[in-house]
Amino acid sequence: MSRLDARLGIWLLVAALAVAFVLLGSGLDMAYVIPRRLTRLAAIGVAGVCIGCSSVIFQTLTGNRILTPAIMGYEAVYLLFQALLILLIGTHSLILLGRHGNVWLSILLMLGYSWLLHRWLLRDGRQNVYLLLLVGLVLSLVLSTLTQFIQLKVSPGEFSILQGFNYASFNKAQPLQVAYSAVLAALACLVVRRTLPVLDVLALGRDQAIVLGVDHLRAVSVQMAVIAVLVAVSTSLIGPTAFMGVFVANLTYTLARTFRHRVTLPLASGVAMALFIVAQYLVEQAFNYNMSVNILINLVCGAYFLALMTRTRGTA
Amino acid sequence: MITLSHVSKAYGPKAVLTDVTVQFPTGRITSLIGPNGAGKTTLLMLIARLQQASAGELCLDGQAIGQWAVRDYAKRVATLRQTPDFNLRLTVDELVAFGRFPYSQGALTADDRRIIDEAIAFLSLEALRGQYVDELSGGQRQMAFLAMTIAQQTPYLLLDEPLNNLDMKHAVLIMRALRRLCDEHGRTVILVVHDINFAANYSDHIVAMKRGTVRFCGPVAEVIDETRLRELFDLDFEILPAGRGFVCNYFNPSLSPELP
Repeated sequence: MSRLDARLGIWLLVAALAVAFVLLGSGLDMAYVIPRRLTRLAAIGVAGVCIGCSSVIFQTLTGNRILTPAIMGYEAVYLLFQALLILLIGTHSLILLGRHGNVWLSILLMLGYSWLLHRWLLRDGRQNVYLLLLVGLVLSLVLSTLTQFIQLKVSPGEFSILQGFNYASFNKAQPLQVAYSAVLAALACLVVRRTLPVLDVLALGRDQAIVLGVDHLRAVSVQMAVIAVLVAVSTSLIGPTAFMGVFVANLTYTLARTFRHRVTLPLASGVAMALFIVAQYLVEQAFNYNMSVNILINLVCGAYFLALMTRTRGTA
Repeated sequence: MITLSHVSKAYGPKAVLTDVTVQFPTGRITSLIGPNGAGKTTLLMLIARLQQASAGELCLDGQAIGQWAVRDYAKRVATLRQTPDFNLRLTVDELVAFGRFPYSQGALTADDRRIIDEAIAFLSLEALRGQYVDELSGGQRQMAFLAMTIAQQTPYLLLDEPLNNLDMKHAVLIMRALRRLCDEHGRTVILVVHDINFAANYSDHIVAMKRGTVRFCGPVAEVIDETRLRELFDLDFEILPAGRGFVCNYFNPSLSPELP
């Protein structure tokens, strides 16, 4: 029954945090403060689902609990694109493309990158997920270095704009962007919903999945596509989250005490949302925006996870 | 019936199987024996469709195995691989339930439940049902995985070194279970086994391999003799009659004190 408690508990917690986040210190200002906070809350909801689900699914496919989709280089593509825009067109690019033009181009680029990577590496039945990971990692290193190279070439003003892209932030979110991000994420979730039992089988590994009658190559391709959509949506919405997903996924496994994706995926979404709300609240109220969500979450989760590992002697 | 004709498998330039033609009799236990690197496991993986042959044809019930739909094949052939590391948090009950996946796609029916119960009862694993698989001993874990394979209710069972790292008791338990599956349920069992005595005493049929080719095959009584085994393993053998069956002594045969 503790399983049920964790599931129910996390959503009660998310609900309580959400109410507190919107109302605390708002002065009930319906004209400006509350609508803005609701937008940020919605962005947190969408990003929570994206990061929670993509991390857990990615760890299932790779059979590895210390990885997130960031290793595949999606975020590096996003950052390189932003750097190239600034280098080639300068800060005008922000106006030229408009916020939404930039977002859609980023999403399309990340999806295209993922499609090329899979086409190249999963072709002719070479079903080696580790090769995919290795190439993804090397590519993301190369792309990040390129980005750094460009950052050193631009003016200090432009450099500070680029720095802003490096950290996750919910402050950039605009209602329209949150809306279409939500639609994309919902479509990805519909696919996941239909393949929940297959995900459970994929967790047993390639051989066992084939033995149990799963078309492994096809199933992995579908899930990788879902991950690409979720990561593209969250990265374009709030920026790169790097390895935050590791904490989210591992906290989820500890709370869920089961591998079933029917349980872990919603729970991971809830955990991510709760963390984001708390971090964003602290950024806004305690640190007056002089702090990034990444730093807070990595700090708090890292400490909590270490404590968990010591207390349970590594079985967490 | 599983038949292989002129099957070859190469990893890059290295040939693992060369021109293997062999049949596995239905309703019998067949043991694949031979030294390390003979290609036994590769042969089994080809039949399981976990790897693809470089050349030749494999047929299941008269149809090329590539032509079976993935899901239908999982209802005909169940495979148990070695399970060295397993770190998923799931119970024996949940593991065995996976055996029903080809039929129920995750939504268990009352029928599935009954079959899972039967598979667990068949191996007398009732006491372990609620335990987590990663907390079991090697022998118990192997039994749990075998129960999953049994729950898959396939006419054909493939097992890759099911006795690896098991103590004598669990090894005997597994072999007895396979014998009963064959005798009482008419299943066809093909296994890779290193212990020549288990192969000789529990199986009906032997396929002996060396360096990627089949050296000899046939019913146990016809093919197990000292000359053949010596040639196969490069070891001296002494075959001693026992109360039931016989024992192949390769530990310290009295025939010749020195190894070649």
